[in-house]
Amino acid sequence: MIKVKNNKMRMTLALFLLPALLIYILFQIVPLIGAVFFSFMEWNGIGGSALQFVGVKNYIGAFQNPDFILSLKNMFKMVVFSVLFHTPIALVMAAVINTKCKGYRIFKALFFVPTVFPLTAVGLMWYFVFMPTGVFNSFLKVIGLGGVAQAWLVNPATAMNTIVFVNIWAGVGYYMVILLAGLTTISEDVYEAAAIDGANKLQCFFQITVPMLKPTIAMCILMDIIGSVKVFDLVFAMTGGGPNGLTNLPTTLMYNEAFKYSHYGLGSAIGIIIMVICLAGTMLSNKLTSKKNDE
Amino acid sequence: MSTMNKKAKVKQNPGGIVAKYAFLLVMAFVFAMPMVFTLLSSVKTKTEIFAKPFDLPAVFQWGNYIEAWQAANMSRYFINSIIQAGATVIVLALVSSMAAYVLSRFQFKGNKFLVLFFMLGMMVPMHTVLVPVSYIIGTLNLKNNIPALVLIYVAFSLPFSIMVMSNFMRGVNHSLEEAALIDGATYFQIYRKVMLPLCVPAISTISIFNFLSAWNNILFPLLFINDKNLKPIALGLLNFNGERGSDYGPLMAAIVITVAVPLVMYLLFQEKVEGGLAAGAVKE
Repeated sequence: MIKVKNNKMRMTLALFLLPALLIYILFQIVPLIGAVFFSFMEWNGIGGSALQFVGVKNYIGAFQNPDFILSLKNMFKMVVFSVLFHTPIALVMAAVINTKCKGYRIFKALFFVPTVFPLTAVGLMWYFVFMPTGVFNSFLKVIGLGGVAQAWLVNPATAMNTIVFVNIWAGVGYYMVILLAGLTTISEDVYEAAAIDGANKLQCFFQITVPMLKPTIAMCILMDIIGSVKVFDLVFAMTGGGPNGLTNLPTTLMYNEAFKYSHYGLGSAIGIIIMVICLAGTMLSNKLTSKKNDE
Repeated sequence: MSTMNKKAKVKQNPGGIVAKYAFLLVMAFVFAMPMVFTLLSSVKTKTEIFAKPFDLPAVFQWGNYIEAWQAANMSRYFINSIIQAGATVIVLALVSSMAAYVLSRFQFKGNKFLVLFFMLGMMVPMHTVLVPVSYIIGTLNLKNNIPALVLIYVAFSLPFSIMVMSNFMRGVNHSLEEAALIDGATYFQIYRKVMLPLCVPAISTISIFNFLSAWNNILFPLLFINDKNLKPIALGLLNFNGERGSDYGPLMAAIVITVAVPLVMYLLFQEKVEGGLAAGAVKE
């Protein structure tokens, strides 16, 4: 590190930082402060019109709003099932691909590639698959399960589950790649020692791979929680929150409330609640993982 | 190879190998199915898509692509996304490398605070700022203003970019920089002639990332843009679906066009995309 000695040098370095600071403050920090401010205000959405201070009314309104409670339940479902499926499936994928078996590069690319696609395109892709006349129902008929065929994204009983499934599909590759990177840090010697002791593959996986990957697994779960809370594009492209708002998440609900129905105060309050949920998730899992590391 | 053979190997029973490939093939089916279906349907007629979903088309309907590209405005959306994502990438590379240079190479009061201050942005979900941003757009008349849209992309990608750039710069050897200082080079010259060329790997990592996230974003364009001719492709695709939702062939072609650029980028820079992702994740 070079020590900053005089004011002239300080001025030069400030000029280097200035563009980043300006853009960051103007387009991220100011809106963030604005978000907190707006959540205590009522505003009709017309630029330049008056704001009215209403205190915590927007927050109370949010928690008394059955649509918001439903969106929280949907979010909870999304988080729980994403966490249950993403990391375990990704872990098995990573372990199998790490054996460098035949065609592993193709499998890896195939599992990973959905994560670089725009989620609107992924959502539409699956929307057509799950359409009443779509390929999924045709497939069910071919394998003799025609009776199960239905309008997956229209039926209230299946719509949310279908979206949760697509979210799992779209994210697995991401966690697989992170876990693969983690796997490369485990030394071959450990497995060799286990082999000498007569361990089989399955024992190696549960006794060596999983415990040694614990920090990486914990991080995947944390990112998954935050990522699942922030899902928006998929719902927006597949159902728009319908049927009857049944598949709304807090993110799509806040978008609809603010920009469709001009309930800006409520929208802002939900926006802040989303951030608080993400922060709480981060702190909780940080606490859990740091405790584990102390042991 | 000879040393490899001496090493003890964990026994692999034949059942395990079968299970392994069974798992891989089932997963491959689940992952390939929607993509293959979309690709196949993009060259079929509407009747074929529904009547024979698993067959190849009788005649390849390349016209679907022409229809999507020209009549459905996908060419316009495509160019818009190239411009918007391209501009975001360039501004971010410049601005984040300059900031990272100071934060990673110089010791001064407030350095730590600034690093934390920039990291704070990683905790802010885009949804949290939508209402204030739309208020700012309304008040300052920024609707359909592409530079403003680019700057908000830049702001949201700055924390990640600065983090990756500073981590990389911290590992750069100091001797070149010191030699340049003794030769009387200014700090700007050192940044421009010494640091930037050395940081090309990190710049390409963040650039691929920033390009993909700008290409895939719809949230900010939803707020900023109502002029059809300025929409980026991820949003234009939804527009197309909204306007002509039953033109299935051309719609499927439009989906293929939308994912083509990220797909090609991934195939070209596979290691970079995966490596950068893991690196970004470890630090988060």
